[in-house]
Amino acid sequence: MTLNVSLYMVAAIILFFIGVYCVVSKRNALKTVIGIEIMTTAIHLNFIALSLANPPVGVVDSLAQSIVIMSMVVGAAIATLALMLIIRIYGHYKTVDLKKVSRLRW
Amino acid sequence: MESLAVLYPIATLIVAAVLVPIVSLIGKTVKFEKLREAFTVIGFLAALYTLSNLYQELKTAKDGILTYNIRGFGPPIGVMFVVDWLSILMAFLFCGLGLMAAIFSIRYMEEDTGLDKYYTLLFTLVTGMVGIAFAGDFFNFFVFWETMCVSSYVLVSFRIRFWEPIEAGFKYLVMSTFGSLLVLYAMSYIYGLTGTLNFAYIAKTIGSVSPPTILYLLIGLIIVGFGVAAAIAPFHTWLPDAHPAAPAPISAMLSGVVIKAGIYGLIRILALVLHPASINWAVLVVVLAIFASLTMTVGNVMALLQNDIKRLLAFSSVAQIGYITLALSVGLFGGKIGVYGLASGLLHVMNHAIMKGLLFLCAGAIIHAAGTRDLRELTGVGHKMIGTAVILTIGALAISGVPPFNGFVSEFAILLATLNAGMGLFAAIMLANIIIGFSYYLKLLYILVWQSPKENLVNVKEAPFLMLLPMGILAALCIVIGLWPQPFIDFAFKAAQSTLNITAYIKIV
Repeated sequence: MTLNVSLYMVAAIILFFIGVYCVVSKRNALKTVIGIEIMTTAIHLNFIALSLANPPVGVVDSLAQSIVIMSMVVGAAIATLALMLIIRIYGHYKTVDLKKVSRLRW
Repeated sequence: MESLAVLYPIATLIVAAVLVPIVSLIGKTVKFEKLREAFTVIGFLAALYTLSNLYQELKTAKDGILTYNIRGFGPPIGVMFVVDWLSILMAFLFCGLGLMAAIFSIRYMEEDTGLDKYYTLLFTLVTGMVGIAFAGDFFNFFVFWETMCVSSYVLVSFRIRFWEPIEAGFKYLVMSTFGSLLVLYAMSYIYGLTGTLNFAYIAKTIGSVSPPTILYLLIGLIIVGFGVAAAIAPFHTWLPDAHPAAPAPISAMLSGVVIKAGIYGLIRILALVLHPASINWAVLVVVLAIFASLTMTVGNVMALLQNDIKRLLAFSSVAQIGYITLALSVGLFGGKIGVYGLASGLLHVMNHAIMKGLLFLCAGAIIHAAGTRDLRELTGVGHKMIGTAVILTIGALAISGVPPFNGFVSEFAILLATLNAGMGLFAAIMLANIIIGFSYYLKLLYILVWQSPKENLVNVKEAPFLMLLPMGILAALCIVIGLWPQPFIDFAFKAAQSTLNITAYIKIV
């Protein structure tokens, strides 16, 4: 049972744009972080799918897997940091609504 | 040529980062808290020493390229470091400004807590940047890129009890992560097209990619992704918030060198890795030059309107990134014209790191003494801080391009390179922007140095020696490069030549 690689790539593009939509349009800071995570996942999917497409056929390239694992670690670090900042934002502003957390914008 | 010396600067910085908390603990037990600061300065000096060793070795190397493979896997798969003249130029800047920031922090950060974390993060920040400069494949590049990014997010929001660093830090985190992810997405496609992540192997095979039109999309993703990190308009909106919110030495690092890491990524990937691709580079040159003009105009016009000294300097950084991007776009022509363009851009990268580092440290000294960032409150503060005022004047004149200082050399070089490439319109835009830039730096000098001091500043004292020392060194460099630019121009030329010498890069790896 082999699915075409391009199907995975299309799925990755759709996921990526869901993530972009989430980051750009959501007012809740937590949802922004979730959007970033969705984008990361889409890229991981793309990497793994493309590692199947590369010759030699039948052998999975370990390069893509290692970069995906590295990227997961980084993603976890960034998510942790973002959540820590959101806790602090809540402490200062008593809200996580990004439209209200905008004293610097003018 | 393989050499273990490539690893030493990175290893020194990582080891120092790990040791800082331990040394800090020892310092607490023996009642000598400044041990940590002394260790930090020694750590940066050691890194600079290993770098200068590497520089000596690079001089004798064939083709001016040193490599190091992590054992076990060959180049197409394995992790590898590649050092050429561009890498070593950037690494010197990163470590040098790191040292200045560390010396400045000794007195500036005295009243803050959690300093062991602060110095660890400073080390990891510089490690990340040096690693980016030395990376020979996308894997390494990505890991060190994120090391740098995560460290700088934490450093921006370091003063966690205030609202401003938190809000600016969150904004910076979201936007910069977005940019990094776009680059990662482009990386995944480049991997899919060529089957490798190694720069040299990609450069070898990217020319035969079909269809080449997909490369336009990838280059677009890369320009936007690095553009966020390098604060190219319209992706610069995080910078004027994040840079002022950080402590002053970190602002100097961020404005001086962290945005240059984005520029380095653009140079490395557009001018070397993807340059053999069979696409129409003239179109990309124009697109990048339009981005550059937009960036410098937005930065300068917004800087005119600022009343906050650090925000003014931050917007000025955006404008200077515009000049550098213009030079980089000329560099994409390749050949002799490209070498001129890239060399002038690299010279400005070097000069801007020195000048903007200097100005942010001056701003930090003033804020530390006067306790406010508002220019209307700081009227005439220079009369109370003569040393700082002199250094600030040197920095401001240098960055606005007044002849005996270094800013003039590189801004003039960029103008000449742009004219040389036949892009007279963009040269005119840049000239107009330099004049606007001069006007707001004159305003800054008029308010801070010329006007007589306000009564709320009577208690302001001169900055301590350990703050004046790094500022003085940087100001001296401004004058030296201005009066005797030849060795620095040669260095920048060598870097530009080795960047655009793609065949040598492919052959050596």
